[in-house]
Amino acid sequence: MAALSAPRVATARAHPAAEFRLGPVARTGVLVVAALYFLVPLLASARYALEGAHGSYTLSSVTALFHDSVLLQSLVTSVEISLGAAAITLALLMPTSVWVNLRMPRWRRAMESITLLPLVVPVVVVVLGIYGAFPTGIVASPVLLALEYVVLAMPYSYRAIDGGVQALDLHTLVDASRSLGAGWAQVFRRVLVPNLRSSLLSAAFITVAYSLGEFAMANLLSFTTFPTELFQIGTEQVGEATAVSVFALVLTFGVLLALSLFGGHGRRRAVRAGLPAGQADGVVAELAAEVDAVLGHADPGRPGIVHDGPTMR
Amino acid sequence: MGSETGTLEHEAAQRANGRHLDRSGVRVELVECERRFGDVAALDRFSLTIEPGELVALLGPSGCGKTTALRALAGLEQTDAGVVRIGGLDVTGLPPNRRELGMVFQAYSLFPNMTALDNVGFGLRLRKRDAPTRRRRARELLDLVGLAAQAGRFPHELSGGQQQRVALARALAVEPRVLLLDEPLSALDAKVRAQLRDEIRRIQLEMGITTLFVTHDQEEALSMADRVGVMASGRLQQLGPPDEVYERPVNAFVAEFVGSVSRVPATVGAGSTVEVLGGRIPLPDSQAAFAPGRRVDVLLRPESLAVRADPRGLGLVVRRSFLGPVMHVVVALPGKIEVLATLPSSSASEVVVGSAVSVEATGTPLFVTEPRELDA
Repeated sequence: MAALSAPRVATARAHPAAEFRLGPVARTGVLVVAALYFLVPLLASARYALEGAHGSYTLSSVTALFHDSVLLQSLVTSVEISLGAAAITLALLMPTSVWVNLRMPRWRRAMESITLLPLVVPVVVVVLGIYGAFPTGIVASPVLLALEYVVLAMPYSYRAIDGGVQALDLHTLVDASRSLGAGWAQVFRRVLVPNLRSSLLSAAFITVAYSLGEFAMANLLSFTTFPTELFQIGTEQVGEATAVSVFALVLTFGVLLALSLFGGHGRRRAVRAGLPAGQADGVVAELAAEVDAVLGHADPGRPGIVHDGPTMR
Repeated sequence: MGSETGTLEHEAAQRANGRHLDRSGVRVELVECERRFGDVAALDRFSLTIEPGELVALLGPSGCGKTTALRALAGLEQTDAGVVRIGGLDVTGLPPNRRELGMVFQAYSLFPNMTALDNVGFGLRLRKRDAPTRRRRARELLDLVGLAAQAGRFPHELSGGQQQRVALARALAVEPRVLLLDEPLSALDAKVRAQLRDEIRRIQLEMGITTLFVTHDQEEALSMADRVGVMASGRLQQLGPPDEVYERPVNAFVAEFVGSVSRVPATVGAGSTVEVLGGRIPLPDSQAAFAPGRRVDVLLRPESLAVRADPRGLGLVVRRSFLGPVMHVVVALPGKIEVLATLPSSSASEVVVGSAVSVEATGTPLFVTEPRELDA
């Protein structure tokens, strides 16, 4: 069997690869150009942030950040909101995805469309809707911002969860656990959550990353969050703003690193669970790109071009 | 209630002393159950009683409703009407987790994040058994299915047959009142399937547990079950011991579904006989009332057809299959009729593909039915 199938596989793969294959020199060249494209602005920003008088280097701009209580408070607020948004996302979207796949499979496509809506509805429209729909007291609460981020991050977070749910043999696992005596809470706690761990972490990270970087909604609703405060600093103190920019990039890198570490763990689990490793890798790569895109839209060093990522897509 | 800490040895000793465990051997009844999916009746006034400790196999083609019947008993499928009783208690409205059943599925259903040991102990964990009890019981069950050495392995490290063995151990670990087997062998290769089939039956007999086994494989059903139920269109066509279902089918569907038959046009003759293939054989006792001269189809088992090499015969051998001691021979007859016959391999040397043969019906036909119009 293997001998018979091997040439077919090889042929199928060889054809496109032969068309697009680059030589080693060209590949290195592309890599160098791409690296320069990304690294030069970063290094320039870092140098600018650390540059003192007469060509010396100083950490004063960086240390100033940690003495800015308003900035630190805004960071705490953003972290709280983003963690809240992540918790709500998991509590809401995981049961939804499980239920849709289990009991309403015909609604799967509809759900995919519904969860994409936040990408096509401009944030300003959402904000106007909120003002019209909720009393002023609720609109003024950061809880509302967390709820909004759940919705705005949903196009990414729902897919992360739904992909994991669809990769499971959901019906059989649920039926097996139910027949062994598990109530629904136990099915979720003991079977589904452990087997969806990687997907749930991905969804949580996406939501956290999105919430930490979101500017437009917070600004329009007059909340002081990390991105809005960065914007404020950027308009007044360019040096500090650049330092914050570098700091935010390091933070982004940290999130991505954590994601890839968790993803690696997820990959091992996926392999253990009999899932194809590529599937877990694919999710991690996709999520890394998503997080990069989401975080990248709030570049504090260049306040004039702060965008809301999703509406730009 | 069965002893919570009781070992399998203890259970076996109890049985040896003639005492039955409370949990094993309960009566199961499905009464007038109905389940519709749109216009399709998956269960159509379906009734089935499984006696204590009995293994009943539900056999039928895809979509006949056999899995729906099993799922209705498990509580995984709600019935539109009817009553489900386990051990005399009406469980119709009870969710599956409160029916105290063990179930093995067609698909590999082990929890991927747990070892074989943890999988087997899962039901006990839900029942809040302490860890040492859980582990001891799980090891006993794994030992029972011959997988004690694989206790620490994850499902993906086990073969298909091993996974289904662990699934069986997991289902039995909770000391279920009824064991439900939903085509547990269909994903396995033939050799493993035969081994596991014998193993399941051995364990079922040892534990004396009432079992419903759903399969589309008649060999499995006939070899394992105390009684076989043949289903079609949501209804139970016949329920009886394997030999009865095989030898005395109640209708043409059962006759054609269970075992191999050839359908041959015939005419009812005088004196409860039927004229077929140029010969005359007796009608089955249960069908002796057919009026003489009536055109019918007779269903004949391969062993009821004698095939002989004959240059002047009207039959033409179109296929031969060597099956060790016997040979299956397919013969084309005039009128676009094909019959399947079984010959001893030792006497089939002249019956080769393309040779002319004569075919004769011997013994009694399996079933006599209304003629079916042949395609032009």
